[in-house]
Amino acid sequence: MEILILFLPLIASIISGFFGKYIGDRNSEYLTSGLVSISALLSIFVFYQVIFNQYEENIVIATWINSGSLDVNWSMLIDPLSAVMLVVVTLVSSLVHIYSIGYMSHDPHKARFMAYLSLFTFAMLMLVTSDNFIQLFFGWEGVGLCSYFLIGFWFKKESANAAAIKAFVVNRVGDFGFALGIFLIFYLFGTVNYSEVFQQIPTITDKNLLFLGLEVKAIDLICLLLFIGAMGKSAQILLHTWLPDAMEGPTPVSALIHAATMVTAGVFLVVRCSPIYEYSPLILNLITIVGMTTAFFAATVALVQTDIKKIIAYSTCSQLGYMFFAAGVGAYNVAMFHLFTHAFFKALLFLGSGSVIHAFKDEQDINNMGGVWKKLPYTYTLMIIGTLALTGFPFLSGFYSKDAIIEFAYLKGNTTGYYAAGIGIFTAFLTSIYSWRLIFKTFHGEYNNKEVEIEKTHESPLVMLVPLIILSIGAIFAGFLFKDLFIGHEGSIHFWAESIKFLVPLSTEHPPTWFLLLTPCLVLLSIPIAYYLFVKNKELPSQIANMNKPLYNFLINKWYFDELYDVIFIKSSKKLGLFFWKFCDGKLIDGFGPDGISSFIKKCSIKASKFQSGFIYQYAFVMLLGFSALLTFLIIK
Amino acid sequence: MIEIGLGHYLTLGAIIFSIGIIGIFLNRKNIIVILMSIELILLAVNINLVAFSIFLGDLAGQVFTLFILTVAAAEAAIGLAIIVVYYRNSGTIRVEEIDQLKG
Amino acid sequence: MMAHSLFFYLFSTIAVFSAIMVTISRNTVYSVFFLILVFVSISTLFIMIGAEFLGMIMLIVYVGAVAVLFLFVVMMLNVTQQPIKFSKKKGIINNISVGLIVGIIIFLELIIAVGGWKYRDAFVPLSSIDPYLNMSNTHALGNVLYTDYIHLFQISGMILLVAMIGAITLTFSRRENIKRQSYFQQINRQKESSISLVQVESDKGVKIDD
Repeated sequence: MEILILFLPLIASIISGFFGKYIGDRNSEYLTSGLVSISALLSIFVFYQVIFNQYEENIVIATWINSGSLDVNWSMLIDPLSAVMLVVVTLVSSLVHIYSIGYMSHDPHKARFMAYLSLFTFAMLMLVTSDNFIQLFFGWEGVGLCSYFLIGFWFKKESANAAAIKAFVVNRVGDFGFALGIFLIFYLFGTVNYSEVFQQIPTITDKNLLFLGLEVKAIDLICLLLFIGAMGKSAQILLHTWLPDAMEGPTPVSALIHAATMVTAGVFLVVRCSPIYEYSPLILNLITIVGMTTAFFAATVALVQTDIKKIIAYSTCSQLGYMFFAAGVGAYNVAMFHLFTHAFFKALLFLGSGSVIHAFKDEQDINNMGGVWKKLPYTYTLMIIGTLALTGFPFLSGFYSKDAIIEFAYLKGNTTGYYAAGIGIFTAFLTSIYSWRLIFKTFHGEYNNKEVEIEKTHESPLVMLVPLIILSIGAIFAGFLFKDLFIGHEGSIHFWAESIKFLVPLSTEHPPTWFLLLTPCLVLLSIPIAYYLFVKNKELPSQIANMNKPLYNFLINKWYFDELYDVIFIKSSKKLGLFFWKFCDGKLIDGFGPDGISSFIKKCSIKASKFQSGFIYQYAFVMLLGFSALLTFLIIK
Repeated sequence: MIEIGLGHYLTLGAIIFSIGIIGIFLNRKNIIVILMSIELILLAVNINLVAFSIFLGDLAGQVFTLFILTVAAAEAAIGLAIIVVYYRNSGTIRVEEIDQLKG
Repeated sequence: MMAHSLFFYLFSTIAVFSAIMVTISRNTVYSVFFLILVFVSISTLFIMIGAEFLGMIMLIVYVGAVAVLFLFVVMMLNVTQQPIKFSKKKGIINNISVGLIVGIIIFLELIIAVGGWKYRDAFVPLSSIDPYLNMSNTHALGNVLYTDYIHLFQISGMILLVAMIGAITLTFSRRENIKRQSYFQQINRQKESSISLVQVESDKGVKIDD
């Protein structure tokens, strides 16, 4: 039965992809949505089993590689961690499929879109249910590939193609580190299966390796390399540049891939390898620092963005930073909890913004929106719910998960922990400011759109609203319902069992009450502040911006990362590539190879053909020359 | 120098032979000169053979010369016949224009 | 022996000079004439040296037949007088110089080859017949030709026959559109193909040309 979860999306994708022309667009939409929904129901059932019956299983589907000491199987590992991910992936995926039926109704390539969505679901499921690093890598690459397909779905647009390639290349940088990590694991342990590797980790805690001339601890190196892969996939700082540009794809793609699933693969990797990471405090600190820097960076940039999807994309980047920094302080279960709740409200926000874009006839700039909260009541309400959940408004899901992260950071006790907690609180404040900015500028104030008249904006069809409603239920209640299971003190140890390792059990204390109240107060305060800045006194933000022009420019150019990378990597790579192409390939290899040889042969044969002049006396002359040469040779001999 | 020996005749033969050879590929006029140069070559060979025959006292040289004579005549006839037919077909026997073997 | 050498030098000079003129003469008819002169002077050399049969045969065959044949063809083909064109390549390395050099090389090699031989002491005569055994040259040749070399004689006759047939075959041209008689066809005519009895109806006539 579990195998069905894995293969129904694949079957849907194959049928819709190859035979979509024959079965018709409508049928392929229904087929893919239906099969993925069945998958979702089955995974909820499995999750139920895991919670109540402690169901754990490793189903081997087939042998993949059996070569020497490398033994890799296609398998499905069902344990609490993968069960949680199964639910998240399949549920969000099926809702996105249903939503896309409505959103892509004007698109001529519906079957291809659905096929890609289902293929992506299959790859992600492969990733989370693997029991060895190689299948994980297969799923990893698969989701990267599907991300390329989906971002570049409207391939006739130049910017979409460029964004797809950017996503793929930046991911590739991360994948390189990840692959090196897997190689190192195989080199040190002789196996790539999780159970065997995790068992052997404690035996090499003292081993040192020589890497690039430096002597490093083996465990640190493994963790670092795996984390580089996670940085690429989850758009952490330095490898984040692809995420905002990935908004070139259709909105359902952003909801599925860049909110709930693909970008969480990095977090999943770190949590899955928690037995390894627990032994490397150095890298855990690094993860915390990277996570918190990313959270802060993304929040600051989101403050000044004008594209509605980009704001939400930076918000995702920021929340991923939170998840990583939860993992970095050792609270893996909290990271998973935040992943779980974040999937709901972020997908809700993205799909809601898709609804807004649909209403404004494909307008994405928030400066061209405004004043439609009465015209789009459902969308407005659902977006408010999503924003409340995102900012951590008390008692919604985000509140439990985000505040838990900040608490555990504080409880960690060391400098990094305090620092991280402080930045976490400030970032939460920034998060709520930009989220409410989005709401106020989109739905309140004056109607700023030049192209569409206010009467023409209409609410989305039911097929787009129902997934939103389901997600909002999750956004409101998922936190409260599951918090004991995921992060409660006794319940979570019982639940997570072997799938997450804690070398030192998480502390059961509570931080001081003033600290606990700090975040919610800031969050509540930010609502009137944002209202004032963006509805009442509209000139104030631009005045602040003009006063701090350099800071404003710094933020709006995304901290100049793209320009920095352009100068350091891209220009030199382009020059190198050009050199290799024109000179090495063109002149040297082609010159001495095919082109050179063929032109040389041509020249020689032209010269040789001059012998066949047709004049008999020349033939006689040549004969004579040969004869005299022979004679000379004989005489001299 | 005064006493004419075998060498003188052989030298004469060599000179005429060379002239014939040069004539084959130095001429710019027409094919018939080539045929004439071939006759010169055969003539030089004849001189050689006869000189050897006389000076060595062997009659075989002269017999062979007779046969060469025969063959030379036959070959000249055939060659000229070919030229006549070629002229009928192509209208020219100028050396530069006979290049149909051009590859 | 003074006269001998004098005549030798005279005739050989004429021969060489004429040979050169054969190749470089402008007029093709002049070339043929110079060829005849070469033949004649070499003939006299032969006669001088004692091979008079061959000398005479050369005059009859070469001059009388071959050279006349050349003249016929030259006249028939309407060879125009052409200026001597120098080779297209100017400069030191051009056709004439290359040709001359090659010719000189061949000449020198011939000399070397012969000269190398000349100083050998042992030479064995092939035919054991002494040519000057109180016979004339013709008599001596006749003795040998029809006995020892009969096969070659017959074969050379065949060669001449083949040459003759070849020349006729090559140049024979039948004119088209001329009515000719074919005797065989006339004699072999059968009754069936020439006469047919037809029953003619009155007032109807019969069709003849079909």
